[in-house]
Amino acid sequence: MLFEAYKDRVYSVAIYSLAGNEMAAADVTQQVFLKLMTRINQFRGDSDFATWLYRLVINACHDEYRKRRRFVSLADSFLRTPARGDSPRARYARKELCGRVQAAIGELKPKLRWPILLKYVEGMSYEEIAGLLGCSKGTVASRLNRAHKALGKKLSHLKDQV
Amino acid sequence: MFSHHVTSLSSPYFHGELTAAEDHRVAEHLRICAACRGEYEVVKAGVRTASEIKVICAPESVWVQVASNLDGGQLPPARLWFLRPLAIAAVILLIAAVSLLLLRQHSADPKPRWNVARVGGLPRIDSVDIGESGKLGVGQWLETDASSRARIEVAAIGEVEIDPNSRVRLLETNSEEHRLELARGRLSARISAPPKLFFVNTPSGVAEDLGCAYTLEVDNDGNSILHVTLGWVSLQLTDRESSVPAGAACAMKPGFGPGTPYFEDASELFRAALLKFDFSGNPEDRKSALATVLSEARARDAMTLWYLLRRVDPCCRPAVYDRMAGLVSPPPDVTREGILNLDRPMLDRWKSRLSIRSDVPAKKIHSLWKKLWTETLGRIHGFEGKQ
Repeated sequence: MLFEAYKDRVYSVAIYSLAGNEMAAADVTQQVFLKLMTRINQFRGDSDFATWLYRLVINACHDEYRKRRRFVSLADSFLRTPARGDSPRARYARKELCGRVQAAIGELKPKLRWPILLKYVEGMSYEEIAGLLGCSKGTVASRLNRAHKALGKKLSHLKDQV
Repeated sequence: MFSHHVTSLSSPYFHGELTAAEDHRVAEHLRICAACRGEYEVVKAGVRTASEIKVICAPESVWVQVASNLDGGQLPPARLWFLRPLAIAAVILLIAAVSLLLLRQHSADPKPRWNVARVGGLPRIDSVDIGESGKLGVGQWLETDASSRARIEVAAIGEVEIDPNSRVRLLETNSEEHRLELARGRLSARISAPPKLFFVNTPSGVAEDLGCAYTLEVDNDGNSILHVTLGWVSLQLTDRESSVPAGAACAMKPGFGPGTPYFEDASELFRAALLKFDFSGNPEDRKSALATVLSEARARDAMTLWYLLRRVDPCCRPAVYDRMAGLVSPPPDVTREGILNLDRPMLDRWKSRLSIRSDVPAKKIHSLWKKLWTETLGRIHGFEGKQ
């Protein structure tokens, strides 16, 4: 059930953190599960499995982001209209992801975005997020506060656009 | 009064992450401070936005690629700039893991027992009330009466809720296998572990976890019924086996073993006829029941017909084939003759056409996962492996 329970959530976190880039999210998800399979013996059992798994996800997303940043601005690519070579599936996914919420999440700074994703995709507590990100619970509270405010303001901005 | 604004506490206040005292202070302050109240409204708008984040289904191609990479022995590419710190971290991890392992081995209970929590009433272990909680050892019976319920923590891999009027026994718990016996009553299991680690014996067969959540009920005559809510469960008795996907159910009877799985939204007539086909001893009854099953089947019920191909008498197989082919076309390389001869690869290819999620890549991954899990985590959690 672990595999069933986490596979879509890992993909979701990746796709949100990579600003809706479906191909990059699929790459990250593959990397994460391959690492999971080959490195599960590094899991010491003294931390929560989800914490360990999401550490892999965060690292993989950072790597992917660095790799792709050299070629294209992710935020720009996300907000542009679909490229001509996109598959119907990719266009559909992009259309969905170009919704106001996804766009707003995609524009957050990574340090604000991760607490949001861990809170709302994985349902982690502040303490669990703090343990995963290696910071204090207060820092998590502060980042979530800033992220919520940014999202709150972006929401009204996007409403104006519509 | 306004020198202690609470804007920085808006999110933890909303999420209930503050202490009682802090929570009270924020509530009081918001009541009298318009500025903080305004900020709090912005945060609430942000929470509403974030709450709309949806889980997105990963494309199947991801799992196919993972499985093929595992088969081909391809590991994720190494990132060279990480090698040095990784090596240091690995050494530290190794030392920590070995220390932990040694510590656990010294402190490990030689006879692992499962934690049991009272959910309601007075559950009993070996006829003794457990109070609020208890421990279930191998060979011990946990019983609930008409008004009691209990929750069992299944080692470190999940939990099982025991409904009223149930009787369960722990048969085995180690890194290779966790096994309960359900003599009567009902349990609901949620297992977070690789497949084939958790089993439930019943008087009519064995339920084997393939990564799932399900309920299993046994009546006083030993008849069982399984309802799967997530993943897959395999029911077995000797050489008879039924794999039941989420949304489906399957009955078992003592002496017969598992019947044929069916989706629970199938028609009443379909389900009643299937029950008769599976468990009636009268060949004429079975024949007429099969006719009803075939006529009532929808496209979604092709899963049931797929099982029936192998369970009907050879003389009835063409009728099942024809009906199933009318509901879900076989792939081009699957022939009528092959299916009537029960050619396994052809049967599998046709099965992959049904509206059940492909489980092939997942199975490959699960088998590797189980190996790693039992070799590593099992030892860490203090269970003895076969090696």
